[in-house]
Amino acid sequence: MSKSFEMNRRGFLGSLAAAGLVPAGMVASGPALAQDAGGILRTPFWPAPTYLNSAISTSGPESFLSPKFYDGLLGYESGMVPKPSLATAWEISEDGLTVTFTLREGVTWHDGEPFTSHDVAFTFMEVLKVHHGRGVNTFANLTSVDTPDDYTAVFNLSKPSPAMMRALDSRECPILPAHLYEGTDIMENPVNTAPVGTGPFKLESYEIGSAVVMVPYEDYWDEGYPLLDRFIVQFVPDPATRAAMLESGQTDAIFLGMIPTQEILRIAEMDGFEMTTTGFEAMPSGLQLEFNLENEILANKLVRQAIAHAIDTNWILENVFYGMGQTGASPLHYDQRPFYTTEGVPSYPFDLAKANELLDEAGYPRGEGDMRFKLMLDPSPWGTESINSSAYIREVLRQVGIDVEVRQQDFAVFVTTVWTERKHDLVLYTATMGVDPTIGVHRFYLSSNFQPGTGFSNGAHYDNPEVDELLNAASIEMDEEARIAQYAEFQQIAYEDLPIVKMVDIAAAPTLASTRVHDFAPDALGALGSLKQTWVEQ
Amino acid sequence: MTGTFAHIRRLARHPSGLFGLLLLAAIILMSVSAGWIFPEGPWAMVGPTRLHPGVDPRFPLGTDTYGRDIVSAIFYGARVSLFVGIASAAIALIVGIVVGAIAGYFGGKVDDALMRLTDAFQTIPNFLLSIAIVGIIGASLPTITFAISIVAWPIIARLVRADVLRLRTYDFVQSCKIIGMSDMRIVFQQILPNCMAPIIVTTSVLVANAIIVEASLAFLGLGDPNVMSWGTLLNVGRQQLRTEAYITIVPAVALVLTVLALNLIGDALNDVLNPRLKERT
Repeated sequence: MSKSFEMNRRGFLGSLAAAGLVPAGMVASGPALAQDAGGILRTPFWPAPTYLNSAISTSGPESFLSPKFYDGLLGYESGMVPKPSLATAWEISEDGLTVTFTLREGVTWHDGEPFTSHDVAFTFMEVLKVHHGRGVNTFANLTSVDTPDDYTAVFNLSKPSPAMMRALDSRECPILPAHLYEGTDIMENPVNTAPVGTGPFKLESYEIGSAVVMVPYEDYWDEGYPLLDRFIVQFVPDPATRAAMLESGQTDAIFLGMIPTQEILRIAEMDGFEMTTTGFEAMPSGLQLEFNLENEILANKLVRQAIAHAIDTNWILENVFYGMGQTGASPLHYDQRPFYTTEGVPSYPFDLAKANELLDEAGYPRGEGDMRFKLMLDPSPWGTESINSSAYIREVLRQVGIDVEVRQQDFAVFVTTVWTERKHDLVLYTATMGVDPTIGVHRFYLSSNFQPGTGFSNGAHYDNPEVDELLNAASIEMDEEARIAQYAEFQQIAYEDLPIVKMVDIAAAPTLASTRVHDFAPDALGALGSLKQTWVEQ
Repeated sequence: MTGTFAHIRRLARHPSGLFGLLLLAAIILMSVSAGWIFPEGPWAMVGPTRLHPGVDPRFPLGTDTYGRDIVSAIFYGARVSLFVGIASAAIALIVGIVVGAIAGYFGGKVDDALMRLTDAFQTIPNFLLSIAIVGIIGASLPTITFAISIVAWPIIARLVRADVLRLRTYDFVQSCKIIGMSDMRIVFQQILPNCMAPIIVTTSVLVANAIIVEASLAFLGLGDPNVMSWGTLLNVGRQQLRTEAYITIVPAVALVLTVLALNLIGDALNDVLNPRLKERT
């Protein structure tokens, strides 16, 4: 349909040109002109950001916008392989306690001031260690940053921190201008909404709640970049409107799942659109079902394993996630390479007979109304996936004699019910697994992280000293082979104990773009990077 | 009370009233028979997912995203819609009548206080208040019923107060007072029966409104997740409106027909109960 419309429009312009109303050059007749740079990129986003600085807020809009203005010390190629950015070289000492970064020379801030090692020291010590949601943990062992000269930054660590080296990109750890932040109240600093970075784009205008307009920074250190002439992010609250905007050509690309999956798949089938699932490795996330082990029924491992057998995770993957991902098989996400493994990890294939058998064995025969016992299921109201999956889970568990009641609440009330009041039995939620398991996965399994009052901590009240030891060792292990072995053992034990069943490892939120848009998912960070390589045919 | 049968007979002779009654009877029949026709319940995933209507004769209206039979969901949904509609209208009626009657009969400071309370409720947009209440105390059938009735009673209160205010000056009320009848008896035995006509008519609209609000809440994802209502289907369907529109259309039609039936009955009742229009029917 869109194709015939295009033909009509072209035909219409053609007739106008013939009539001398439009310059003939405006009517493209063949394939795209030879061009490999430039253009205007328009994309819708929601919600609108509070800041334009992801050093002080880890929420979605900040994570998307901030990397356009700011650079990190490193970038990451696909597979989370580090590559130079503001740091051109880095060296980790034998004992893992010092990391020396050689910084790029000749880099300037958008206001013309030179970038130096002082900016790096200030950003890590005063901002990321203090105000960044995940930074507090990631940089817990970072004691100081020495600056022997303007282009050398030495990180001193109290313990080795291998996860840190995966968290130095522009989204997770943007480097801020010390000369504008030093001595001010960082959260209240006006630069938070009028960014002055070293990044490829500078802010042209920001209409709160409406749009962010970015233009290239003419003195950007990576000569020739960014390729775009202009980058416009519009804030559009309704997903259906965002989809219609893409279809009608009012916008060029949809990043980070800004429209529902089934719409993405529908539009991707149409001519003139292209979809990719690469470029999201920095944010692997999963849907997981967590048991409250303080419930005496759920404290029985046989019951937990029976529940795992009763749920067809493939059904959830196909019908809730439209096949965008893999069925859960381990506490880690499949994108958490090279640590993810299924080797030796127990699996719980869909098998209702087995589930019934295990429940009988656990000592819960069917009673009144053919039911064995009653459980409460709290699905997270974030997004629609948990709620949609909860309807399915309730129905299959009913088939094995578990009477499940679904309790749907406001997000804040949901978090309080589960992690503060602990009034839950089963909880179903999506969570980020982190660029490194230390950052995203440890929190659910470490006994020290059983912290009522902290959302998305160890809500199961899982406590296995063996697992604690493995995870604590892995968080400071510098030898990658040894770390791989530690995580493999962790995955085997945790999936045998089963405080949490992973339902689905969610695939990268697909990027959907008009075929006029090129190079929009260049590395591991994709749209959460700078998008300086992206260009649009006009 | 002797006129009740006569009223019903006249309602059945009223053309649009008869149509409304038949429609409502069909919906009641659906909700009563749901358990016999679909013993496995509305949640059973009985077929392939997202089966369009008319493809498989076993599922004449198709299946939803979970492979649940939409016909079964509509039958069970009728129960919820009728329950919420009637229960919340009943609560609103009781609160509204009591508040309205007391305010109208006693007047003065009591009237002022009660009417300001009514104003307070009326100044808040109804639907927003319902959303807020359900959002805070959680979505379950009782809380939803409560949230709907809490915003519906002021209309009844105002209606009753206006009628009581008018009637209390009448001679028959004065004579009741003179023979020493208690205030309660005067209000509930003498005055209220005389202002039932507008209340009954408004009630039919109230029920219809409650059904719509429940469906709207469920549509927004604030329905009771353990109860299959038409709104539940709307909410499931909303997410695939572009690809499987029938999941939304089927419950929407059911809602339209139910509300239409109630409105037709309300209109007909208005005609039947209005003494000046007696000749017309």
